Amino acid sequence: MAPELALVATAVALPFVASGATPLVYRLVGARTGYFGAAVAIACFALAGSQLGRRGAVGVPWVPSMDVSLRFYVDGWAVLFALLASAIGALVFVYSASYMADEHTLARYYATLLAFMGSILGVAFAADLLAVFLFWELTSLCSFVLIGHHTDEADSRYAARMAMIVTVGGGLFLLVGIAFLSIAATEALGARSFDLAAMLANADAMESSLRELGLFVPTLAVVAVAAGAKSAQVPLHFWLPNAMAAPTPVSAFLHSATMVKVGVYFVGRLRPLLGGDEWMVLFATVGLATMTAGAALAVVATDIKELLAYSTASHLGLMVAGFGFQSVYGAEAGAFHLFNHALFKAALFLVAGIVAHEVGTRRLAGLSGLWRDLPVTAAVAGVTGLSMAGIPPFSGFYSKELLFEAAYEAAHAAGGLAWLYPAVAVFASVLTVLYSLRLLAIFVGERPGAVASVHRPSAALVAPPAVLGVATAVVSVAPQLAVDAVVEAAIGATAAESPDVHVGLPTHLTPPVAMSAVTIVAGAAAYPVLGRLQRAIGAVVGATPIARPNWWYDRLLSGTEAAGPRVARTVHNGLLRTYVVWVLAAASALALAGYAATTGLVPAVEGVRVTPGITLVLLVAVVAAVAVVSAPSHVVGVLALSILGFMVAIFYILASAPDLALTQLVVETLVLLIFLLVLEQLPAFYADTDRLVAARDAVLSVVVGATAFLTVMLASPDIGAEPTAIARFYATEAVPAGGGTNVVNVILVDFRGFDTLGELFVVSIAAMSVVVLIAMRNRGETR
Amino acid sequence: MSVALAFVVGGLFGLGTFLLLRRDLVRVVWGVAVVSQAANVYLISMGGVAPGTHDSVPVLAGHGEPVPETTDPLVQALVLTAIVISFGTTAFALALTYRAYEENETMDVQEWQ
Amino acid sequence: MKTTARIMVPIILVLAISLLLQGHNLPGGGFIAGVLTTVAFALVYVAYGLDYLDAGVLGRDVEPGRGIFEHRSVTAFRRTFILGLAIAVASGLGALAFDEPFLSQTFVIVESIPIYHEIEVASALAFDLGVYCVVVGVLLTILSVVGAE
Repeated sequence: MAPELALVATAVALPFVASGATPLVYRLVGARTGYFGAAVAIACFALAGSQLGRRGAVGVPWVPSMDVSLRFYVDGWAVLFALLASAIGALVFVYSASYMADEHTLARYYATLLAFMGSILGVAFAADLLAVFLFWELTSLCSFVLIGHHTDEADSRYAARMAMIVTVGGGLFLLVGIAFLSIAATEALGARSFDLAAMLANADAMESSLRELGLFVPTLAVVAVAAGAKSAQVPLHFWLPNAMAAPTPVSAFLHSATMVKVGVYFVGRLRPLLGGDEWMVLFATVGLATMTAGAALAVVATDIKELLAYSTASHLGLMVAGFGFQSVYGAEAGAFHLFNHALFKAALFLVAGIVAHEVGTRRLAGLSGLWRDLPVTAAVAGVTGLSMAGIPPFSGFYSKELLFEAAYEAAHAAGGLAWLYPAVAVFASVLTVLYSLRLLAIFVGERPGAVASVHRPSAALVAPPAVLGVATAVVSVAPQLAVDAVVEAAIGATAAESPDVHVGLPTHLTPPVAMSAVTIVAGAAAYPVLGRLQRAIGAVVGATPIARPNWWYDRLLSGTEAAGPRVARTVHNGLLRTYVVWVLAAASALALAGYAATTGLVPAVEGVRVTPGITLVLLVAVVAAVAVVSAPSHVVGVLALSILGFMVAIFYILASAPDLALTQLVVETLVLLIFLLVLEQLPAFYADTDRLVAARDAVLSVVVGATAFLTVMLASPDIGAEPTAIARFYATEAVPAGGGTNVVNVILVDFRGFDTLGELFVVSIAAMSVVVLIAMRNRGETR
Repeated sequence: MSVALAFVVGGLFGLGTFLLLRRDLVRVVWGVAVVSQAANVYLISMGGVAPGTHDSVPVLAGHGEPVPETTDPLVQALVLTAIVISFGTTAFALALTYRAYEENETMDVQEWQ
Repeated sequence: MKTTARIMVPIILVLAISLLLQGHNLPGGGFIAGVLTTVAFALVYVAYGLDYLDAGVLGRDVEPGRGIFEHRSVTAFRRTFILGLAIAVASGLGALAFDEPFLSQTFVIVESIPIYHEIEVASALAFDLGVYCVVVGVLLTILSVVGAE
């Protein structure tokens, strides 16, 4: 069934409209604006839910000449992502209403959060690659504002800028990838197109077209960089832990459920298009590397949010690796884990927020026994934390089981080094169990005396994570329910073949089940020696600062900052001659390099072919120019300049251009007049000429002159050559189309009237500038 | 294309550049003027300069007559607008020169930092 | 100088107007006519001064001692080029009324007119008139402002 354009468009547009209205709402209801946002999110949830089970593209044209249109593409994958974003969005809004109640600048916060949600929905439903790019960058911009919410804190600003630079930079790679895909579409679809839906429909043709053009691997690489930057894959993962400087609801929303999933979403989206052996090597390797590195760093984290941030990177790696594997289990692992992770990780972030809010600290070291004071929170944390660890029968177990299955299948098929895939997956999962137990440890046991008093969290604060906890529990008990409702359709959209997904507790021993058993046993066994493990990991990380991307980021940024003023001092030093030298030397160098690369620097000399009259007149012009240069006084120079102008006018006559000659003659008279008027007011100037400077200038002048000489020699048409098609067109069409026999005038007022109009504005601006400079100089001048 | 024409364009560009690099602001303005003349001659040369004949002027004999082979009318249209614009810029540059002299009391561009 | 101006200025002005009108078919057009008209005014200006333009040519009262910017002919020059821009844009917008793209031009040939036999009326003439006004206004503004210093 085709999707409903009006409903999809409303779902995407509604958050943006609401975002614009937020300042007004805030003025009316104050801190309760969160509930307004929640209402919008619920409306979007309903609109997106109404499209469940539909599939297809709908849209209206936007820039028809470039085949850009406002198209929406709906399938199970898009709907799943949109439902998650709006559902978690609604809970985050409710949570924010009490968590952020004491904050200032709430209008900005809610407006950005709404716009952010709209951008996510836009990425989910956009069927046009340019629209995907637009929404993609919008999410980066919104996250910049949200991470930097505490504008007066240096940490916050640093993290916001880092997230912005990494994700927007990744977005630029996406743009390159979009260009590649569009080029390939020229052949595959018959026209230059940005239509993602059509590309997906003709995936095979697109792939062979990409391979023919030699663009397949480059496209894959730039898409991987874009998705890796957005989804915090190694080595671009470093911005995600820093982004925990954001308020906790923002972390829950952006850095668990939505923004970081955009990269994963796009990887899943392009999987049918770009899937292949290269795809598997790239994404499975990057994904598993991220999974391991993220889990290892989470084990040594000291702060609850830091642990969760690294854990998010690790789980994103799991999803990317899942999509990397070519078997259908891979798509199942990716899509199902995206669903599970959104539920349990958002809940855990909100739990972290409650702990920070009520206990006053987020440090893992001093906390334990919180279940006495925060029973509901502890229950939620238990369910979701075990789900994160992948312990059966909690939801995370099922999707991790699918990843093991996919890794095992891939290794079984390829053999050799591919056995590293399941091995690394198991190793990373052991670490996952470890840090999950570490997190849960703060809730069990006895309460230490150091923690003074724990407040009771309000119901509005506990309800959102409780909802997510219940949802996780439902999925844990009846995973097939969730699969049938939303996940299966999503898997179908990301896998080549139509899946028949069955999940549930294992009934007999298979290799993946054995892998899970090893994971849990090893994780539990390693927990007692956690301290030693942490020291080992810490030593590895500490010993190699050069391997840390954060170090490179800081270096690059401070290097750029230092280089900026240095370049500016050289190029932009306030001296006119510096600018002239840079511009002219660069232009000459580029032109000469261009000639050297294409036609060669030696033109064919055909001897003197212009009439002696023209030659004579032009030589006089050059002599006049020499006289201008060597003029002893200003008046002599101006007169020589006039002679030059008149000679050029005569040249126009001889070159069959009467209009030009007439204009030039009269303008020359006016130029002379105006020069003399101004010179009257100026002093004579006698600068002592430095021979060295003059020689240096002469060199540049000769270079520029030689470039111009070569350009004429190489570019101008031969004598007796046929007029160009353009010249011919204007000459023949002047009378029939323009009704005038003076072709030049017809071009000016008719064919190219727009140019002339623009020129009129230019001269008008020149006149106004003169008026302002001279006649109005005493008005409004502030010294 | 003719060496003479190329030589003239090159020479004018070179001399104009030399003027642009001078310390005297008036000479800089002259440089702008010389370079724009050079650019105009260059544009005309791109249309092809043939020995002028009765037919080569891009003004046709009348309505409905056969169209002779004229010189390129488009470059002429370009140059025509360029002439008027370069007058505007020259006048503007002169006004700036005058005001700069008034403010800084020197014509030496090296001295205003 | 004054005698030359007296004789030359009317001739130049007539020539300028004829260049403007014939511009579509013979050498000429708004640019040339505009520049030429400016030269005529410049001649008067050099020979007699700006105040004479007001008092002698345009028959207005001159209030001596006022700044250049309040000078009435300077204001008039500025008005001229604003008027010119308006004419040019309006002639372009006119095409929109006939469902043509902005700045489309057309022409009609009116026949059986005494003496001329036939006259071609091109809508481009309106645009050219705009060009003419802009060029005259701009150049005279610059000239008078610079000259007043």
